[in-house]
Amino acid sequence: MKRIIIFTFFTVVLMGCTDKFLDQPLRGQQELDDFFASAEASERFVNGIYQKINGEGWNQINFLRTINEMASDDEWSGNTEQPRADITGIAHYNVFPGSAYINSFWEHNYIGITRANLAMAYIPNVDMDEDLKNRLLGEAKCLRAWFYFELVKTYGGVPIVTTWAELFEPEVYKYTRATTSDVYSLIEQDLLDAIEVLPLKSEYATSDMGRVTIGAAQSLLAKAYLYQEKYAEAEVMANNVILSQEYQLEADFENVWKPNHLHGVESIFEVGYINDQLYANIGGVYSSTQGSRADLGWSWGTPTSDLENAFLSEGDAIRLRSTIMKHGEPVYGDPDVTSYDAAPTRNKSGRINRKFYIPKGDRPEVYQVGQHPLSHIHIRYADLLLMHAEAAYFNDNEAAALISLKKVRDRVSLTTDMSLTGDDLRDAIWKERRLELALELHRLHDLRRQKINGVPRIALIMGPNGTFVDYNVNHNTDPFETTNLGEAMDKGILFDIDTHLLWPIPPEEIQLSQGLVEQNPNY
Amino acid sequence: MKHSILIIMGFLFVGFSAMAQNSVAGTVLDSNGQPIPGVNILEKNTNNGTISDFDGNYTINVKNNATLIYSYIGYKVQEIVVGTKQKISVTLLDDNQQLDEVVVIGYGSARKKEVTSSISTVNGEALQRITAGSPAEALQGQASGVQVISNGGAPGSAPSILIRGITSFNNDKSPLIVVDGVMLPSGTNLNFINPQDIKDFQILKDASAAAIYGSRASNGVILVTTKRGKYGKAVVTVDVSTGLRNIEKINLAGAKEYAQVVNQRRLNDGGVAVYSDEEIAGFGSGTNWLDETLLDFAPVQNYNISISGGGESLKYLASVGYFDEQSHYAKGYRKKLTSRFNIDYKVNEKLTFQQDLSTRFERWEDTPNLFYNTLRIEPLTDVYLPIGSRDGRNEFSIFDRSSIGVPNPVANVARSFGEITFFGLSTNTRVRYKPVQGLDIQTQFGFNFKNNKRDNFNPEFFIHPNEQRLVNNVSRNISNNFDWVWNNTVTYKRKIEEHDFTVTAGLILDEQRYNYVSAFREDVPGQENEALRYIDAATGENMTVGANETVRTMFSYLGRLMYNYKDKYFLTAAVRRDASSVFPTKNKWGTFPSVSVGWAISDESFFKVPVVNSLRLKAGYGQLGNQNINPASQFFGIGDSNYAFGGERYVTNVLNRFGNEDLKWETVEDVNLGIEGALLDRRINFSIERYKRSSVDLLFQVEPPNYTGIPGTIAQNVGSMESKGWDVSAGYSGVKDKFTYSINANFSTNESKLSEIAPGIEELFGQQRSDLGNRYLKISRPGEIAGLFYGYKTDGIFQNQTEINAHSGETGNLLQANAVPGDLKFVDYNNDGELNDKDLTTIGNPFPSFTAGLNFNFTYSNWDLNMQWYGVFGNDVINYTNLFAHSGINDVNVHAGTLDKVWSPTNTGASFPRLSVLDRNNNYQTPSDLLVEDGSFVRLKNIQIGYNIPMKGVKKLRLSLSGQNLLTLTKYSGFDPEVSAGGNIINGYGVDYASYPLTRTFLLALNFSL
Repeated sequence: MKRIIIFTFFTVVLMGCTDKFLDQPLRGQQELDDFFASAEASERFVNGIYQKINGEGWNQINFLRTINEMASDDEWSGNTEQPRADITGIAHYNVFPGSAYINSFWEHNYIGITRANLAMAYIPNVDMDEDLKNRLLGEAKCLRAWFYFELVKTYGGVPIVTTWAELFEPEVYKYTRATTSDVYSLIEQDLLDAIEVLPLKSEYATSDMGRVTIGAAQSLLAKAYLYQEKYAEAEVMANNVILSQEYQLEADFENVWKPNHLHGVESIFEVGYINDQLYANIGGVYSSTQGSRADLGWSWGTPTSDLENAFLSEGDAIRLRSTIMKHGEPVYGDPDVTSYDAAPTRNKSGRINRKFYIPKGDRPEVYQVGQHPLSHIHIRYADLLLMHAEAAYFNDNEAAALISLKKVRDRVSLTTDMSLTGDDLRDAIWKERRLELALELHRLHDLRRQKINGVPRIALIMGPNGTFVDYNVNHNTDPFETTNLGEAMDKGILFDIDTHLLWPIPPEEIQLSQGLVEQNPNY
Repeated sequence: MKHSILIIMGFLFVGFSAMAQNSVAGTVLDSNGQPIPGVNILEKNTNNGTISDFDGNYTINVKNNATLIYSYIGYKVQEIVVGTKQKISVTLLDDNQQLDEVVVIGYGSARKKEVTSSISTVNGEALQRITAGSPAEALQGQASGVQVISNGGAPGSAPSILIRGITSFNNDKSPLIVVDGVMLPSGTNLNFINPQDIKDFQILKDASAAAIYGSRASNGVILVTTKRGKYGKAVVTVDVSTGLRNIEKINLAGAKEYAQVVNQRRLNDGGVAVYSDEEIAGFGSGTNWLDETLLDFAPVQNYNISISGGGESLKYLASVGYFDEQSHYAKGYRKKLTSRFNIDYKVNEKLTFQQDLSTRFERWEDTPNLFYNTLRIEPLTDVYLPIGSRDGRNEFSIFDRSSIGVPNPVANVARSFGEITFFGLSTNTRVRYKPVQGLDIQTQFGFNFKNNKRDNFNPEFFIHPNEQRLVNNVSRNISNNFDWVWNNTVTYKRKIEEHDFTVTAGLILDEQRYNYVSAFREDVPGQENEALRYIDAATGENMTVGANETVRTMFSYLGRLMYNYKDKYFLTAAVRRDASSVFPTKNKWGTFPSVSVGWAISDESFFKVPVVNSLRLKAGYGQLGNQNINPASQFFGIGDSNYAFGGERYVTNVLNRFGNEDLKWETVEDVNLGIEGALLDRRINFSIERYKRSSVDLLFQVEPPNYTGIPGTIAQNVGSMESKGWDVSAGYSGVKDKFTYSINANFSTNESKLSEIAPGIEELFGQQRSDLGNRYLKISRPGEIAGLFYGYKTDGIFQNQTEINAHSGETGNLLQANAVPGDLKFVDYNNDGELNDKDLTTIGNPFPSFTAGLNFNFTYSNWDLNMQWYGVFGNDVINYTNLFAHSGINDVNVHAGTLDKVWSPTNTGASFPRLSVLDRNNNYQTPSDLLVEDGSFVRLKNIQIGYNIPMKGVKKLRLSLSGQNLLTLTKYSGFDPEVSAGGNIINGYGVDYASYPLTRTFLLALNFSL
């Protein structure tokens, strides 16, 4: 009996300890509720939003941009050794909605949005310097606008999530696609808010270079206006950037895309890739994905002779040599290469993107994807000037348009016909945009938004009667392109204007949303 | 007590039968050849009897024409006509159906007759017939309602066990394992135990049996009882088996056929041929990658020695076992050395003490998983570079590179260096005190320690710029588990007239602590030197370390009442309250009650059916819990990463875990009805049970839409499931002269449906495939079986343009505008005149309509024969290799005979669509029923023939030959229809990515005891 009493006593004592026994914390990881306790933590969290501008690695976000370029007249799919339906097929407008790249682009832009929303939910309550707090919130807003802009360009209207709190409401699982104009309204408002609080580029310390600035937000806003054909607002906003005198053109065009050249005078919005042997994915990827298969590259997205012809017709040797390199020729700016091997049997066009090329002397010991010391510039001053020119032209402010156009051409020693007007001026600005920004992953979206008589230019270039298709099928005499038939000559013939102005919504998202997120027409 | 009365009576009767005329002597053995002491031997229709001694020997004097009856608890009664024989040695067969048998139940034991819940018993002997790394493999087909799903034949692979279907969406559906009363952590597979140490398994299948284990028991419970020393002289046994395992290979295309397929793919798209006819004519057979990568035979060996015995106060058993299995690759093995030492010590009549100690030492080498790539790599690639081109290349770089980028599998094997050493120690201490009649106080402490050390080395090599490692690296990961369970129970048993009560109360504490340290560093100098493959030798700047710890704790009380009236009416009621650390404070506690009743109808006076020896009805209801989730699930976690500003690396913080602060218990409700009995002098016994289990608040990893930006999945309590089915088993056994036989059959059906998901969610998906457009192969929807295959239905192959044109919507729009003759015709399932993802539907069911096991045992004189058949019927399998096996997608290799199996204008009856590179119809980029095959099979799991060599002074000397998985009858075209893609059974079961198949095994065994 005594033992039973002891046993019972023991039981009671034990039960007193159970709360502690049963309370096991999350070990080895910070918890969200404890995390936002300092300015440093807040800043580190905002740093994490930036990661989704290009995503981590080559595939999350970057590669759909490469596919976009392949689906324009500037690039072939390129890699004829491994033709793939979810890459080559899309470039040829035999679009496979389930492409992993279309899917991950969607997914990772939204992860960026949620990081921004979370920052905006927690940072206002952190005890810290108000200026820094406002800046961090401004960065988050600017980046959220960036992500939505990427989405709306690619897919059209998309579901809108603007707060952290709504993720806890059951309704969040029933969202449908917002209209394109609703998404743009959000982008505009976020950027206007960001402009209020962000510093100028010159106000940042060197160690903060790469953070978004007033100039970046304004340029992005100008671009968002341009995509909506809000030319008046676009011109004003672009002009704000010009007037800020924060930016200028690089003296030499060849220095725009240059390894180890970070946040140069022309750079407005840039992912400052560096080489770090220990940390992958803070370095560049395009040098590998678009490099020659004979030079540690994968040969996706190789330049077309059609693009080269555009340079030649303009007499634009300076930009051509820094844009396209060709098999068997020396590489401009790389004294180590006298005859470049672009592996023409495995590369449709025997050409490689010079802008993403890293000269041998600049290559780190370990040369691999995710570790290239070549910064990726999303918006630069020349782009901004040409946006200004385009907006001004459509506002019938042709004089202002010509001034901006001339600035860009002057750098590469091209004369500008200051008497251009009307459609000729418009075409000159558009051509200048193609040549100046060639292979910088802007072309497809430009061709989709730019219209002639209401018809998007992409529809004039692609499709059974498209000029690019006609050129390749009937007139192309390029020795590389006409020899390597591993990629079909009739690229673009399947283009359909009722389908292909947007990419499809990822089927996975349609499934996960129980069909509430609906597919784009004709996919 | 009853026992000793019998003994006294026996002696008395011996005295009365002095008139007997014949003296008969002999030995009573069990089916293992072990002597059975204390067997009652009675001359039929007399009071004349005796009992066997320590060595099973007996002597009795009987009359002429006497018949002897041999009986002992746990064995079938045997009758033998004496005739003129003077020496009669008898082998008693185990009788699991015998109602007086004592079975282990949770936190106690009960007579079989008192058990009103659903418990299947599998004795150790059945598990020991198959030589395998895990006793689970031998469990297949042995018990109704217990489905054992092979996870392939690689060394160390552990089959999954499903008890009565699926009621949880959770990853882990394996039952709780309890060894001699000690609960093991969730997810423990049966690999840990040496099959030779097992006395039996009691499988608690329904909630009324398992509820005593509360929240750990929702997947059922397997109670493992290990062998213990018995009263008697020391017995030494030695068991040895050794054999070879063999894989049945698939015929792949040779170089010529491959090249023709590559050409045809292009020609069909209007392109040009890659290989000229002259080139093709010059090709030899090419590389047979399956032959290059896999050995034909891999050895397996198993050795066991044990010694056991005991006296009045101390009984002991000690055993040592060694098991060694090799993979069919040049790398990969598992060696396991186990030991067990069980002691029972009786201090006095009131106090007993038990101490068990078992150890396990294992050494593994990683078995590569290369079947998929081996099927895909093209035969035109050589294994090695020519000798002349190997200059300056290390031993890992002398391999040829596939021109289509499939990694060279032989090279993969060569650079696979992964080794694990494992040490496990379990102790189980039990003190049992019976201060007064009927009162039993026990405290039991079980401790389990596991140490796992993994070493990996990845050598530097260069095969191609896209198949290389610039710098070698070495890593080590050491993990430890410290788990303990402390059971404290009080049981009081009292009989008041015809009312028999047993009351149990208990208090249990349980902790599972896991921690690890891992380290990685690059650049070991002189990588050929194995002695340098340690982190200390590495000099690279790239190094990482990690260490963390997780702890789960549980606190429980339990209470149980077992009651019977007149030994005819039975009732068991139990309740357990559990608190678990994995749930937020407000939801920590869960209560799990159960009740069951039984009626021994054959014991009623009105029941007079002579052929029926016993008949019982039983019914039970109970609730169980499930808490098998990552303990971090309730938390929102912040992780870190990197970004560069101003040319410098900055640390970033990101949300990497989206928690759920409202998590709570998953609850399973279970109803079981059963009837069981014995017929024809107990030669036939049977059991039929019907069950329905339904779960609510399922713990599930929900994948929210990507627009939420939530990283990964969220653990949520969503919806409910229902599992129901029949468990039927029957046995027939008998003895005729020297011939004894028993046939046992079991039959199980199960249907596990999803009843409901969280509000707003109507579909759950699994098996996402990037090569099928990130679509999913599996879907679970309310009202349907969980985990059905999902995709497009096809309606044959378009034979001509007319058929393509006819496949159109209302406006005349072509449904498959890109199709050409030879492409698949996808069905517009929703009839909306468009072909899109709204036409995806269920295209197959991976779960069988029923499974069945059939086991035969025959002995004739010194010979014995045993066969185990297992069958699975009515299930579908997704043979994922169909995606490339007859399409050569991305120019990978195809199966032999592909050109005859694909559509062409001259082969219009083909079952596979035309060859194409661009595949504009997406024949092979769409989940469709083209991938689905009938997976039904019947397998001869084991056939064994043995011969007992009579030898003086030796208790047993038996030689046997056996074959495992010798015969599989199936229509399935892949390696093995018994497949699971691993992970979550709902989403993994029935999906074949060409993993390591089950092997055919040929074995020679020797059993010896002294």
